[in-house]
Amino acid sequence: MPIQLTSQAYCKMLLHAAKYPHSAVNGLLVAEKTKEKKKDSHSDPVLCVDCVPLFHGTLALAPMLEVALTLIDTWCKENNYIIAGYYQANERTKDSRPNQVAEKVAARISENFSDTAIVMVDSGRLTMSCFEPIVLIYDHHENKWKNREVTSDSFEDWNEAQKITSALLEGRSYENLIDFDNHLDDLRNDWTNPVINKSVLDLC
Amino acid sequence: MRSSTEISWKKTSSRVLWTSDWAEEMRDKLRKWREDTCRNSEQIVDVGEELISEHASKLGDDIWIIYEQVMIAALDCSRDDLALICLQELRKQFPDSHRVKRLTGMRLEALERYDEANKHYDAILQDDPTNTAARKRKISILKAQGKSTEAIRELNEYLEQFVGDQEAWHELSELYINEHDYGKAAFCLEELMMTNPHNHLYCEQYAEVKYTQGGLENLELSRKYFAQALRLNNRNMRALFGLYMSASHIAASPKVSAKVKKDNMKYAAWAATQINRAYKLAGRGTKENKCSIKAVEEMLESMQITMS
Repeated sequence: MPIQLTSQAYCKMLLHAAKYPHSAVNGLLVAEKTKEKKKDSHSDPVLCVDCVPLFHGTLALAPMLEVALTLIDTWCKENNYIIAGYYQANERTKDSRPNQVAEKVAARISENFSDTAIVMVDSGRLTMSCFEPIVLIYDHHENKWKNREVTSDSFEDWNEAQKITSALLEGRSYENLIDFDNHLDDLRNDWTNPVINKSVLDLC
Repeated sequence: MRSSTEISWKKTSSRVLWTSDWAEEMRDKLRKWREDTCRNSEQIVDVGEELISEHASKLGDDIWIIYEQVMIAALDCSRDDLALICLQELRKQFPDSHRVKRLTGMRLEALERYDEANKHYDAILQDDPTNTAARKRKISILKAQGKSTEAIRELNEYLEQFVGDQEAWHELSELYINEHDYGKAAFCLEELMMTNPHNHLYCEQYAEVKYTQGGLENLELSRKYFAQALRLNNRNMRALFGLYMSASHIAASPKVSAKVKKDNMKYAAWAATQINRAYKLAGRGTKENKCSIKAVEEMLESMQITMS
């Protein structure tokens, strides 16, 4: 089942990458939990309604990642979400392939969600206008992560996503984006990003 | 201290007062950012651009270091126009300076003209083989080109000569972590801990590396260093979480004796109480954070179940 991104999920990923242009960043994608899997639901896309920005800088250390995964999993359960994917932007703009960290985290997520996707943000193509989607979506097929073509179908509403993301980038909203690292620096920082979520809603 | 001429100047125009104070305030801000080595390049460009174009005369001798700081920030923000202005002023003032030559090289790096940048750095090193800045720029170029193995090799050679360079040891530890060579990353952090025994961040990072390496012995070591980091700074949340996670994993391991299990459950329980306390303190008066507190409580509870 392919994933689809809402405007909120897409723009927060890009804001995270824009906030730390000289670092790698990563985060989790969450989807609403559906009650049952229907027999013919193979072609229904999984809608990733939101994302939780995790870390910036060194991504390859385990302990805080474990804390984040457990905490966010608990939060998901309370909000009827499920962790459905993982996103990452690499440190170097010319490199947009998933690395060992991405594959490991995705494997961990797959234990609870069979159609886990890896979304790589191609920060080399990040612009204010966001005229084209700059994500690469990878699905797990036959033990390998394969790149799928990204079209406007990969979004709930590409025009809305483009408009909102561009507006927030111009307004430098990324300065207020909170990731899990920021939360660990000061517990009052809220990684659910209610302020940015409200800005997104206001722009819809 | 304000001179008498400044005081009378202020009395004549309140707008001039604001301008003069603003320039001084921004100059102090820029100095603080330099001292803290912040990489808040957009802010530096915003403040610095106005400062150097409108208030250069009020900056005194600070102007040269400010040109350097603003130039580097401008490169970070792809503002080559601003970077060039700063660079040209510096070239005029310090025509034969190696320090300015290095900035010329950095501009070329920003434009991805790496071969030309390397030529500049090699010229500096011809003249002065001990110039550490030029050597580090060459290593940065390797990193930017994705040549991690070469960058690691060059940085190791550099550290054989300049064994006290903390920044370099830290950079090397990061390069090793990105290559998943946790053993060597730990070695670099050990060097840093030795020379900076009171730095809680190095302790905590070392503990994270050991934890990631895995295995019972490394887990116990990581727990000890998370605890040490907490002793050095009892507000380090990463150390607190790390202590909780490492102690919990050790307690849950089938390979440990009953005593070790009991001790670690005690450490984990202590850490859990401290974590809950920290969240309650942070959540005071805010509705939003209630979900975080609940999530943390549930997480700690669920882990307790796996331990027993």
